[in-house]
Amino acid sequence: MSGRAYLGWFLGVVVTAVVAMVAFNAFADAYLLSTPKGKSLQTVSGFERVLKPAWLDSIKPDTVFAGSSRMREGFDPTLLDPALHLHSFDYGLSSISPYEARRLIQDSAAQPSVRAIFVSMDAFASTAAVARAGSGFDELRLAVTASGQPTPRRSLWLFTTRYLSGGALGMHALSLYLLAQLKSGQPASDRPDLFTAYSRMTQTGFRKDLAFRYGRQMAWSAPARREFNLALDALCNTGVRAYLFFPPDHFAMIARYMANNADGLLSFKHEVLHDVQRHNVRCRGKVSLFDFLTLNDLTRETIGPAGSNSYIDLIHFRPPIGVRLARRMLGNNDLGIDLTAAHDPDNEIDRLKNDVAAWRAAHPEIQPSGVAPRPEADKED
Amino acid sequence: MPFNSYPYIAFLIFAVGAFLLLEAYFPRARRPYLLLLSYLFYAWWRTDFILLLVGSTIVNYTIGSEITRRHAKGWSTHVLLLAGLAFNLGLISLFKYDDLFVGTANALFGTGFALPHFFLPLAISFFTFEQISYLVDASQGKTRLYSFLDYALFVAFFPHLIAGPIVRYNDLIPQFHESRDTQTRDTDIAAGATLFTIGLAKKTLIADNLAPFADAIFGSAQHGVALGPGDAWLGTLFFAFQIYFDFSAYTDMALGSACMFGIRLPFNFNSPYKAASIIEFWRRWHISLSTFLRDYLYISLGGNRQGSVRRYVNLMITMLLGGLWHGANWTFMLWGGLHGTYLVINHAWRNVAGRFGWRPPENLAWASHAASVLITFAATTFAWVVFRSPDLASAGNVMRGLVGGGSSHLVSFSPLAAGALVVLFAVVWFAPNSMEILWAYRPALEPPRGTSQVRDIGRWRWQPSRRGAIAYGALCVGAMLALSNLSPFIYFQF
Repeated sequence: MSGRAYLGWFLGVVVTAVVAMVAFNAFADAYLLSTPKGKSLQTVSGFERVLKPAWLDSIKPDTVFAGSSRMREGFDPTLLDPALHLHSFDYGLSSISPYEARRLIQDSAAQPSVRAIFVSMDAFASTAAVARAGSGFDELRLAVTASGQPTPRRSLWLFTTRYLSGGALGMHALSLYLLAQLKSGQPASDRPDLFTAYSRMTQTGFRKDLAFRYGRQMAWSAPARREFNLALDALCNTGVRAYLFFPPDHFAMIARYMANNADGLLSFKHEVLHDVQRHNVRCRGKVSLFDFLTLNDLTRETIGPAGSNSYIDLIHFRPPIGVRLARRMLGNNDLGIDLTAAHDPDNEIDRLKNDVAAWRAAHPEIQPSGVAPRPEADKED
Repeated sequence: MPFNSYPYIAFLIFAVGAFLLLEAYFPRARRPYLLLLSYLFYAWWRTDFILLLVGSTIVNYTIGSEITRRHAKGWSTHVLLLAGLAFNLGLISLFKYDDLFVGTANALFGTGFALPHFFLPLAISFFTFEQISYLVDASQGKTRLYSFLDYALFVAFFPHLIAGPIVRYNDLIPQFHESRDTQTRDTDIAAGATLFTIGLAKKTLIADNLAPFADAIFGSAQHGVALGPGDAWLGTLFFAFQIYFDFSAYTDMALGSACMFGIRLPFNFNSPYKAASIIEFWRRWHISLSTFLRDYLYISLGGNRQGSVRRYVNLMITMLLGGLWHGANWTFMLWGGLHGTYLVINHAWRNVAGRFGWRPPENLAWASHAASVLITFAATTFAWVVFRSPDLASAGNVMRGLVGGGSSHLVSFSPLAAGALVVLFAVVWFAPNSMEILWAYRPALEPPRGTSQVRDIGRWRWQPSRRGAIAYGALCVGAMLALSNLSPFIYFQF
């Protein structure tokens, strides 16, 4: 065979595949961003590091919910937007590192349309010394570089992300499949088998998850704290209002955090509060800090035979709870503590010790002393 | 622009297409066109550093031309050569080693000089070394005087500009003047596209998938995590394979790109993990650098002409400076020192074994070879720990982990990881490499004397066929699908 014929076949295969891929991705992208049901895809795992930076750029939201998989699962714009009159975007990432959390906040703050950012503080809770371990996290797609400068040639990178990447191909195919499974007018909440953010923790799941996360702590390290302060710096001179919160993990889990490293958790909360207070003194862009990681109506839920109303598992709450949390942070005082408005916020934080003692006394069966600690294996939070 | 990016692929397609038109209708414009393309390619990163590249080119061409003229007349060229070397070494010291020198002086003498923090111009190590080789060759009367256009294109030709291979004046410039017939042109492009595809696949499908694990583990070591043996071994092995496939990929893509223009770059990579000794390793790994160091440093120091001890000293000096060439960090020098030590031991062993006639028995030759390959791999992999670590403390942390010093469990040794390692070992030890696959079409210059030669792989050799075109086309598409995560080549930083 001649070199020319070889080239003809070679290029024919490449060009055909590329044209087909671009056409499919362009069609899928346009459809997903225009159909109302498409918003619920933001709660599905897999899209985070592939398409979310491009979606953020296209959707131009006024409100961003950024952070870990707690945010990804818990805040569905399909529910939030009509309930709170928002144009929101779920920027939650699985297995987020403190470095990534900072970069997402920088990215969100650099979008001209964004007016408010909600962030769950567990994204910065990392005792690992590595504050910068994120697999496949591609910063070229973000609006700003790590030093806060506009990302060079960003539109080119977004174009290739959207239309020329294998990740986009896979995620677009998955999206179309998921949406095709919904009947006309059927919301994502009706299909928890597909949209797992709407599934419910069962009694069995509760016990298994407690054993699974038995050794877990919530604390942070010096590098993680540095990342948090860099994130605050990104908000300092913007008109963006930030709402930070300690997430409402189920109290069985909070009790484990306290059993495993009470000092670490309490220091984490006090230090975040201190950093936020210092930020609010010197910066134009103000930050509110809420504490839902307390004993409250939500976190003390007893799981009935029909499963949990609020939780997917011990740390992930369901999207209706996300609406409740957002409403609370925007002014409806029904849950948790607004630490930035509290009279004695440090004391409010320290009350957790009493809450844990009370909860343990009331639920001796949930903390069986015979359960052996096991190493943490999951990264999905 | 990085080779592993859509902009480069689009750039390359446009560049080759327009070059073909010029080749057919206006061949005199080929060289100015290639020079313009090369400067555009370089300007993609930082436009202002074009001035540095052009300025360095003008100064070196002026000095080199004068050296060539004086040499032809039998006049001394020493002063000019020294001036040229001082200019090049001064330039690279200023931009690349400024912080290292000042920081070290501060540490040693307690001075408080501010670190200059100059921005490191891309490819400065490569274009500086290439021009030094030109000046030395000119002073020895080995060069012809070509036009400035030729010289500038020799320095800036984009496939080798950023990360090599390190090219020699006499190897490259004559090729700019050669013309090719239609059949050769088509075969060049077909072979070049295939080689480029193999490189792209190595980069995006293999090296980039190993990088996150190696990065996480070495990053943890840097931040003081006491690495457990599983983490340390996986991180070390993953990095050994990452750098192998990363550099091999870069070389394939550089050679493939040049091949499409009818230019052959130096042979640079020949399955180094198949080496049965450190001496052989350096005849297979970054061959253009090792031959540069041999020809312009080791031999200039006296080579092996002044006895064994002096030879070992020369080897150590060469490898220490070769290590430092990679970057302004003492870890690179230590890495060079380790390889220098390995080479000294290897040469000494050969001397002793040769003197006493030690050879493995015939029936154990295979086992002896396998053990040698394994020991060589272990030695180079151990040295990679120092190479990859940002500082000596991190390297020590990883090494402690290798012998069970820590307890971290960042990465689980899963069946997937074990399977991946088995496949990677099989590929680097047993599979034919890209040069062997394409050697019938000579995608590179002949391997330099004293380096390993290309093995004939018989029916596995590439030749144009419909099935091959579809298979490589599909591989190219698969590799391009993974391009969304842009990960720079390791050798770009040098």
